Amino acid sequence: MAERPEDLNLPNAVITRIIKEALPDGVNVSKEARRAISQAASVFVLYATSCANNFAMKAKRKTLNAGDVMAAMEEMEFERFLQPLCEALEAYKKGQKGKKAASEQKRKDKKKSETDENDKSRDEEEDEHMDEEQDGENEGEEEDVEN
Amino acid sequence: MAATAPAAPAESDLDRSGTEDELRAAEPDEDAGNAHGGPAAGAQQQHRLAKLPLSRIKALMKADPDVSLASQESVFIIAKATELFVEMIAKDALVYAQQGKRKTLQRKDLDNAIEAIDEFAFLEG
Repeated sequence: MAERPEDLNLPNAVITRIIKEALPDGVNVSKEARRAISQAASVFVLYATSCANNFAMKAKRKTLNAGDVMAAMEEMEFERFLQPLCEALEAYKKGQKGKKAASEQKRKDKKKSETDENDKSRDEEEDEHMDEEQDGENEGEEEDVEN
Repeated sequence: MAATAPAAPAESDLDRSGTEDELRAAEPDEDAGNAHGGPAAGAQQQHRLAKLPLSRIKALMKADPDVSLASQESVFIIAKATELFVEMIAKDALVYAQQGKRKTLQRKDLDNAIEAIDEFAFLEG
């Protein structure tokens, strides 16, 4: 099963949904047109990637970043995409931050419950960083232990 | 004693989180979900911000031999840009269908749009 880049198509259902949402009600799309759009989308990804990679290489970086893709869009004459892409990126970054914080919190909670018996003092230091709310509540109670 | 067993995989997650921004680390995100309990964390990664699956986009990007690594953000933006592209080409092709007094978009409408619009020149041939 040789996988050429052209064979990697994006899921038809998603492509169809995007098309339907872009077009007014009552408009249909033939199967051939849908397939052609899907192929065009794959070519778009390849072309955008190649363009973005040029910018990364120019900057002597090995990792493609968001800025490279934005520059590629301009190069490809898709400036109209820049603003919606910037907005989407902001939303995405916020979402990632939230998830990272949530999983870090989970990890710290796990650690805390395991080392509870051994390092009470260390835990309290961490408490000050993580659980600001708790600090407010426990201030009166734990003062003795801190001292 | 049995309680300390799960601690081992948690530690290896710490190592991987350092490379979270890199392309290949997009997979450990789903693996980390399994370590914590269920692939739910991986599924939530989409979070309705990108309709196209980032894994498929990433696979396409990797097809380019010159591309070594790509940040998660760049994969996301390309996915989003592709979505905008599909919307754009569909709407532009519709114009030609309407000219032909048709309500069904056909392959030739797309061909016409590609020929007529400069931005789509990369699709020719």
